[in-house]
Amino acid sequence: MRRGIHWTISALCTVGLALTATYAGAHHGSSISYDTTKLWTTWATVTQFNYANPHPTMTFDRIVGDGEVEHWVAELLTNPSTMARAGWTRKRTLEALAPGTRVKLTLGTARAGGFSGIVMRIENEEGESIGGGFGAPGAPDLDGVPGGLQPERNEPLPGQEHAR
Amino acid sequence: MTKRRTLIAAACFTLTLIAQGVAAQGERQAAAPGGIGSSDTDTRSYDKRDFSGLWSRAPQQYDLGPCPECRDPATWPGYGFFGETPPMTPEGQRRFEENRPSRGLELGSEEAERRTDIHIGYRRAVLPAFGNDPEMRCEPLGLARLITFSGIGAAMEIVQTEDRIVQLFEWTWDFRDIWMDGRELPNVEDYLPRFNGYSVGRWEGDTLVVTSTGFDDRQWLDQYGFPISSEAVLEERWDRPSPNRLRARLKLIDPLTYTEPWESSPKVWALIPKEKMAIGGWSGILEDRCVPSDESLFNQFRDRAAGIGDGESAAP
Repeated sequence: MRRGIHWTISALCTVGLALTATYAGAHHGSSISYDTTKLWTTWATVTQFNYANPHPTMTFDRIVGDGEVEHWVAELLTNPSTMARAGWTRKRTLEALAPGTRVKLTLGTARAGGFSGIVMRIENEEGESIGGGFGAPGAPDLDGVPGGLQPERNEPLPGQEHAR
Repeated sequence: MTKRRTLIAAACFTLTLIAQGVAAQGERQAAAPGGIGSSDTDTRSYDKRDFSGLWSRAPQQYDLGPCPECRDPATWPGYGFFGETPPMTPEGQRRFEENRPSRGLELGSEEAERRTDIHIGYRRAVLPAFGNDPEMRCEPLGLARLITFSGIGAAMEIVQTEDRIVQLFEWTWDFRDIWMDGRELPNVEDYLPRFNGYSVGRWEGDTLVVTSTGFDDRQWLDQYGFPISSEAVLEERWDRPSPNRLRARLKLIDPLTYTEPWESSPKVWALIPKEKMAIGGWSGILEDRCVPSDESLFNQFRDRAAGIGDGESAAP
């Protein structure tokens, strides 16, 4: 019985994640800029959070390897109107994500690589979700791993011939 | 641990509802005459000519029952005008090729190569940093794009008076008037074109028929980069098939761009009680503007994702 429930949850999540990817494609082109098919998690420290349209953005630090600090920039998949209607108003969100706050992030790395990504979910140290968003059960935990999950780039990115 | 499992289960349950909605949509659309069904089970009497209220294409966001027919068919990769795209004129084709959207299936991807059943417009998305979607510069969306996007996440409100109907769009905080006072459409030669054009409406039975002209041709018809000319005419047919549903069918007549009229797929919205669309007790649509300075900051993050720009301003 327990095994059956587990399987059901896994199956539902698979469906859910596939749909999430589809919807993301319609969301400011974010799933094209980032690899949302390979999400991963890490602990990080918030250095800045911008609660703004069209999507919030944030910067955060990760401590990796022998204590080196990586400075990351990221956008969020969600947007302020969705957050506000879910109870994550500007004031509440900025309080919850003040600089120095330690958070666990679920993110996808930029297609071009580097310390840039899209944040799908934010949890605080108590495991509570901040701002809504989707998690990714089974996503590898790469806390402390230099660079997190970086893409294998063999081909030009779509539209790169138009690079400014 | 238990809490975590509960969270996962809740997230998955929500996603499953969405999945069921998408699947049910296909079934209903196949079964119902006219290509669209209704999930509204409300049998109360209502005024079929009263469109006033808050409307959304995602009622689940407001703790209301799902509306599978509110979403565009799963055949399409998102939200747009859709329907059967007519052949373009040489000028239309030239402008189409100039536009580089960032929505739809990714250019060159396996899925884009496989989905030859849909127009190339829906399978040519490039990274936003390499695209030229006017929305990503906070330029006005234009009427057809406002209508076809509105209600997905951002809601739409309709205010109805004796002589006009005003449509308010949450995303980009835009609006348009539909004049019902019997006036004629202006001679476009005498007026400046507008992103939302000029609209007049009349009733045909319980269907509101709206005709709009005078469009600014810098807009895209939808997020896939289909062009529209300043000589285009947009015809809309709106009706309220049940108490909690509003439906629109659009037809674009633009001989400078397309060789035949283009009819959209039907668009359906669900009525949202105002107490459901409230933050801190204040109900109504949000001022969900696209502010250039916000967008500019956002684009610095976006460009870093494409490996361009030094990101100096984006970095802490």
